[in-house]
Amino acid sequence: MAETAPLWAAVVLPVALVLVAWAAASVDARSAGLGRAVLRLLVQQRRLTRAADVLLVRVGTTLLPVAAVLAAVVLPLGFRSVSDLPDGIVWFNAMEALAWAAVWLTGWGPNSALSLIGGYRFLAQGLAYELPHMLAITTAALGAESLRVGALVDAQAGLWFAVWMPVAFGVYLLSALAMAFWGPFDQPVGTDVAGGAASELAGVDRLLFLGGRWLLFVVAAAFSVPLFLGGGQGPFLPAWAWTVLKTAAVLGLLMWARRRVPTVRMERYVELAWVVLTPLAVAQALVVAVVVLGR
Amino acid sequence: MTTAAFWILAVLAVAGGVMVFRFDSMARATFSLLTALLCVGGELIVLGLEYLGIVTVLMMTIEMAIMAVFMIMFMMNPAGLMPMTMVHNKRGAAALCVTAFVLLVAGILLAPWPRRRGRAPADPTTDLGMALMGPQMLTMMTLGMALFATIVATVVLATRRGRYERYGDDLRATRPDDPVRGGVGR
Amino acid sequence: MDLRNRLGRVALDRPAVLLVTAAGATRERLAVEAELARRRWPRASGPAAADLVAFAGAPAPAGDDDWAERLWNGVPAPKARVRVRDPEHAAHALEHGRMALLVGAGTQGRQEQREPAGHERHDADGEHPPQHDGHTASGRSEHDGHTTSGPSEHDGHGHDAHQDHGGSHAGTDQGHHGHGGSHPGTDHDHHGHHMGGAILGLPMAERADDRDGLRLDRLHVPLGPALPDWPAGLVVRTELQGDVVQRASVEALVPPRSSRPAFWSEPWLRSAAGAPVTVDEAARRRCAAHLDSVGRFLAVAGWRDPAAVARRARDQVLGGASVADLRSGLRTLTRRVRRSWTLRWLTSGVGVLSSTQAQRYGVTGPALLADGDAYDRLLVWLEEIDRAVDACDDRSPLASHALNGPRGRIAPEAPASRTLVDVLPVLLEGTEFACARLVVASLDPDLDELAPQHARGGHAHG
Repeated sequence: MAETAPLWAAVVLPVALVLVAWAAASVDARSAGLGRAVLRLLVQQRRLTRAADVLLVRVGTTLLPVAAVLAAVVLPLGFRSVSDLPDGIVWFNAMEALAWAAVWLTGWGPNSALSLIGGYRFLAQGLAYELPHMLAITTAALGAESLRVGALVDAQAGLWFAVWMPVAFGVYLLSALAMAFWGPFDQPVGTDVAGGAASELAGVDRLLFLGGRWLLFVVAAAFSVPLFLGGGQGPFLPAWAWTVLKTAAVLGLLMWARRRVPTVRMERYVELAWVVLTPLAVAQALVVAVVVLGR
Repeated sequence: MTTAAFWILAVLAVAGGVMVFRFDSMARATFSLLTALLCVGGELIVLGLEYLGIVTVLMMTIEMAIMAVFMIMFMMNPAGLMPMTMVHNKRGAAALCVTAFVLLVAGILLAPWPRRRGRAPADPTTDLGMALMGPQMLTMMTLGMALFATIVATVVLATRRGRYERYGDDLRATRPDDPVRGGVGR
Repeated sequence: MDLRNRLGRVALDRPAVLLVTAAGATRERLAVEAELARRRWPRASGPAAADLVAFAGAPAPAGDDDWAERLWNGVPAPKARVRVRDPEHAAHALEHGRMALLVGAGTQGRQEQREPAGHERHDADGEHPPQHDGHTASGRSEHDGHTTSGPSEHDGHGHDAHQDHGGSHAGTDQGHHGHGGSHPGTDHDHHGHHMGGAILGLPMAERADDRDGLRLDRLHVPLGPALPDWPAGLVVRTELQGDVVQRASVEALVPPRSSRPAFWSEPWLRSAAGAPVTVDEAARRRCAAHLDSVGRFLAVAGWRDPAAVARRARDQVLGGASVADLRSGLRTLTRRVRRSWTLRWLTSGVGVLSSTQAQRYGVTGPALLADGDAYDRLLVWLEEIDRAVDACDDRSPLASHALNGPRGRIAPEAPASRTLVDVLPVLLEGTEFACARLVVASLDPDLDELAPQHARGGHAHG
């Protein structure tokens, strides 16, 4: 059922992502003042700290939105994605890992202690969330017996994976927040370190970095739809509408969660992730494997 | 198109490798190595081994990011103010690298490569999985367990704090005595 | 160019404000915060994100280090700064800052801020504001970096030298460091390069044992005085190993004299001096003080929503809202904070201060009552808020003996916040950075109390 979109979709993809991110950010700020904030960053000068490694900062800030858009290449709207790679799930995971490098470089480059702390906080966060996260997306792939995102959507024509893999779905939602260092997982850019990895960025650099984070957040949330919520499957409405609706619902849930929960510190979360979530995710994978073998 | 991509990635990979020796900043050296490895991953994708290529990208990115943790341990001066290289014995290392590169290139050019027989499989990922886990299942499982056991053993040997330090000599303490409290309370 | 100017005007109509509070300027801070909330201007978390810097009170320098000036230098253009020396003038000063930004945006184009490598200039004087003036602004885009004039940046080990790693948020001069390998010894074993000292006037890390007995780098980072949600005037000089605070020492940047009593303990100080004070006045002040602390604590804990609610409630309490209005809102807030099991999970076990230890340091007030960790101290605040609201319409006179302010016993010679500051280094040692912030926020010393009082006369303000 999955088909590859025409070439112009590659151009439309970043634009569409920016639009969704813009809408989400406006809802989150509960105001329409977002345009002014973006404009403010555009008229602001870039800024160099003393003895900064400018090259690394520029690479880091640019890599973040690029990684988000590359990850979205396998994201289907309805049943069409820009490229339905045979290993789409691994591709998504690899591109999301590029964000680790991006945030780290952005934190290290400006030669500032707070920025550095923000940078390596994200590494600690990555190490904490990645284990259960990989198990969760592997479980979904196991359920469809394929690494192709299109095949995953097809396999959920009857029952959504979220229904019979609730643990994997929950773990994925947590790691979606963590990989975009957003909401309760915003420690790498937390206020306690005055903006962390972003603390020394001004002007266009800041716009790229924080905008890239929004893109990554939208992509991470949107990827839960083909993974666990049946992609474009649904009655009455066209497939693309279902994708948009479900993505909006996931985004809404995650944004609501941020208002309910304080920032999660990694020295607490890493133990939860490794001691509780990882075994749970393994058990979930085992159950799914047994079901798949039996069918 | 494919040939062009191959050559661009190849040149970038080699250039990234060379720059590891040229940079005197830890972060730059690490990330030029990462660039080289990402280009190698790209080469694998260009050659039709998508799964291997993407996995290379994934593993190498995370690996280099973890290297950064050690960077902080050994050097807290951000932005590489203190110049330092990632290679010991720079000349020897460079000589070894160049020799190995030349030998490999010579081998590639001089070896009598066999002609392709049959056609490429439709899904090389499945075939790879079959090749690894089919007839070699026992080997791979043993290998996996051995690697895992090595990791656990290394950590056990390296840590100075076992359960007696954490829970007291009679293991009766309700809360472990840790420098920083964890999230599960055990 | 015209379009760009117009865009700049639209963008800067609501500038992002970095509020820098000096010790002793709580009244001004509250006025500016209320005004910012009213105007719905965004708050900047650091100089890089700011358009407008609002100094509440006169920032006291740390030794010979003018951190406020360095912070200003780190703000990217277009920028403006205002000084608020009087709570009444907050709105006027902010408006003035906005106008200065808009005028500046009209006359300048965008320009990359860049200096040739290694070039140093001492030009900070060019746009020093006249000190007596209420507010000054600069929308120009001159290269005002490189204030490497003080001796502090050249001696590698003196404690002042560590400012420039940015922890204080002031060490952010513009500059460019070419990675040219002009430094000798790049061929050596890399462990050979740790020798402390300074490169480019920036102090290097030195090495020391970590908590596992490994010999690793240790960086000197001063926290404060201009961090967001940080007690005004407090500087904690930390030695960081990775994320772990290995050692901490505290410095209080208080003005040499203060003509006004500390805002949060004012009713009790007045009562101690024999002036008539009513119970409701004291209750309102205590309630607002704790709401301020709770708001700060929740903001540091990363829970922005209720933090904003707490701050709004604080302004209502001080603004004289009726007890009935206050009660329902505050009950909702305290119940919401108490019910959050994630907040409890995240803050319990942080900064444990037993009552015996607290007594040894002479700590009184909520920190002594709590007899436990940061979460326990938060609970004591919430309890006292609930109790204080009920007393907000009690017009009877305040008993003038055994006076207990929001931070502890009122004693002009030994203020309660002094003991809280004294106990900080012990609690901070061995904590991780985020925990250290929580510990400071959970004690929330009020450095206004530390400023010497009643020392009128002396030299005039600079």
